[in-house]
Amino acid sequence: MKVLVAVKRVIDYNVKVRVKSDHTDVDLANVKMALNPFCEIAVEEAVRLKEAGTASEVVVVSIGPKACQEQIRTALALGADRGIQIETDTMPESLNVAKLLAKVVEAEQPQLVILGKQSIDADNNQTGQMLGALLDLPQGTFASDVKVAGDKVNVTREVDGGLQTLALNLPAIVTTDLRLNEPRYASLPNIMKAKKKPLEVKTPTDLGVELKSHTRLLNVTPPAERQAGIRVSSVDELVDKLKNEAKVLRGG
Amino acid sequence: MDFTFTDDERAFQDAISRFLMTEAAPEALREIWETDAGRSPDLRNKMAEQGLTALSIPEEAGGLGMGDVVWSLMTQELGYYGIPDSLADTAYVSAGLIAALPETVADRNGWLEQIAEGSIRIAVGHPVNPLVADAHLADFTLLNHEGEIHAVPRSLIDVEHNASIDSSRRLCRVMWEPSNSTRVADAETGAPIWEEALNRGALSVAGQLLGLAQRMLDLSVDYVAQRKQFGKPIGSFQAVKHHLADVASKIEFAKPVLYRAAYSLQHGQADAALHISQAHVACAEAAHLAARHGIQVHGAMGYTWEVDLQMFMKRTWALESSWGDRAFHKARISAAIFADDAPLGPGQTFGRS
Repeated sequence: MKVLVAVKRVIDYNVKVRVKSDHTDVDLANVKMALNPFCEIAVEEAVRLKEAGTASEVVVVSIGPKACQEQIRTALALGADRGIQIETDTMPESLNVAKLLAKVVEAEQPQLVILGKQSIDADNNQTGQMLGALLDLPQGTFASDVKVAGDKVNVTREVDGGLQTLALNLPAIVTTDLRLNEPRYASLPNIMKAKKKPLEVKTPTDLGVELKSHTRLLNVTPPAERQAGIRVSSVDELVDKLKNEAKVLRGG
Repeated sequence: MDFTFTDDERAFQDAISRFLMTEAAPEALREIWETDAGRSPDLRNKMAEQGLTALSIPEEAGGLGMGDVVWSLMTQELGYYGIPDSLADTAYVSAGLIAALPETVADRNGWLEQIAEGSIRIAVGHPVNPLVADAHLADFTLLNHEGEIHAVPRSLIDVEHNASIDSSRRLCRVMWEPSNSTRVADAETGAPIWEEALNRGALSVAGQLLGLAQRMLDLSVDYVAQRKQFGKPIGSFQAVKHHLADVASKIEFAKPVLYRAAYSLQHGQADAALHISQAHVACAEAAHLAARHGIQVHGAMGYTWEVDLQMFMKRTWALESSWGDRAFHKARISAAIFADDAPLGPGQTFGRS
């Protein structure tokens, strides 16, 4: 069984994100970039399927400028077999990503496509669902457990009321939640081996996809700075402030 | 001379940094200190699984065959995360020492393979260090007897613990009797090997000190950005900024000294010992200043047990005198630059290939 994993290059989760002074976007200059944590979980799940003998090949695909090859190499160091980069100048929006991935799926014919549920930069949570719709494939989103059984995959999903388990016919799309697994670290010998694994570069034109923009970024503002606390002199004053300033208590 | 690191070297540093950031957080290290042995077999095994112990073992013995230059990055990470384990003594200093032993030493290749796998712990007792780190846990200790090299198993040594200002260190006074069965190299063969082990040990300490300096600077910058006085973060006051800017410039100026030393050692240059002593002095100065100014900007709190700064500060004070103190390294520098045939002058500085 072939597994396709889509990964994204994002700002490292340890970096404090700053907004550009003209508020047009976040500032990416000299910022450390990394593999999106949910994508890392997706790679780990695919590699575990391979180690268990369920999957025969793990293919990693990423879309973006040449620099995203670093993240493909990281995924290869984690245990994926080969990589595909679809080179674009910028990071395309979710629908374009889904269209490009759909073409890769048509070409590669994987039985299972695993994606992170969302990227930590845009937080859209759209690509997996859009890909499922474009390909008309069953989807199991927010997976906290994935078990392949014959020609089905059982996906346990984290939903508001608890856990829901779906049996999907393969081929299927799975998007990963935080608790699906704990990804391994890329070891030094595997980083060396990853350099020798094949990495194919394609363009949207090769795949016959025209990138169209459906949204326009108007403005980016940082979250409001938290105000310093104040000391109140009595319980009555505290209650008064909770009622009249914070408005978290009702009068009575 | 090209000081830029290869993509591999940078990728290795990133990978180890990410691993240690998660697995060796200060609270985890404090828990390890509380154990009897003061070491975590689990953390050590994980570091071995990452390939850190295989880094400079030759490829034919199952290692990655990298050199001193990559260790100059890795030791900075070990220092930055305050790793108490004397891993570099086994994986870097001992690995170099054993690889330099004559092929006739029966256990040589087996030891190298065990280091690469992470299944062995080796302590090194060089005469420059009166005490041996982690000898109580080592499978065997490499010891010097009148220039000879002896590999002495744990069962044949007595250890007496010696407290360190850095409570995460485990230092031992080692008592042992040299014998023919423990000798792996005679004095003539051993002399250059011990010299190289000293250089490698000093370089390892220099890298760790630079990592410690950076950590203390980062902790201090975080603190002064949060701590407010007169309605502003104290980091906005010029006097505080200057303290930390001085540390940052010391660190930046120590880096090329460290990297040149690593390059010199890896390429067997004649003045490697000079460069290594310079690196030890420069990195120790940067770390010492980072500790001093770190305490200053933290106020009295920086010295307290609860604040993490003390972990890195005390490690700095302990390591400053490890593998040669300041006087020892300054004497080596002095001997090199005042030698009759010292390669000094612009022709020697800029005209070398």
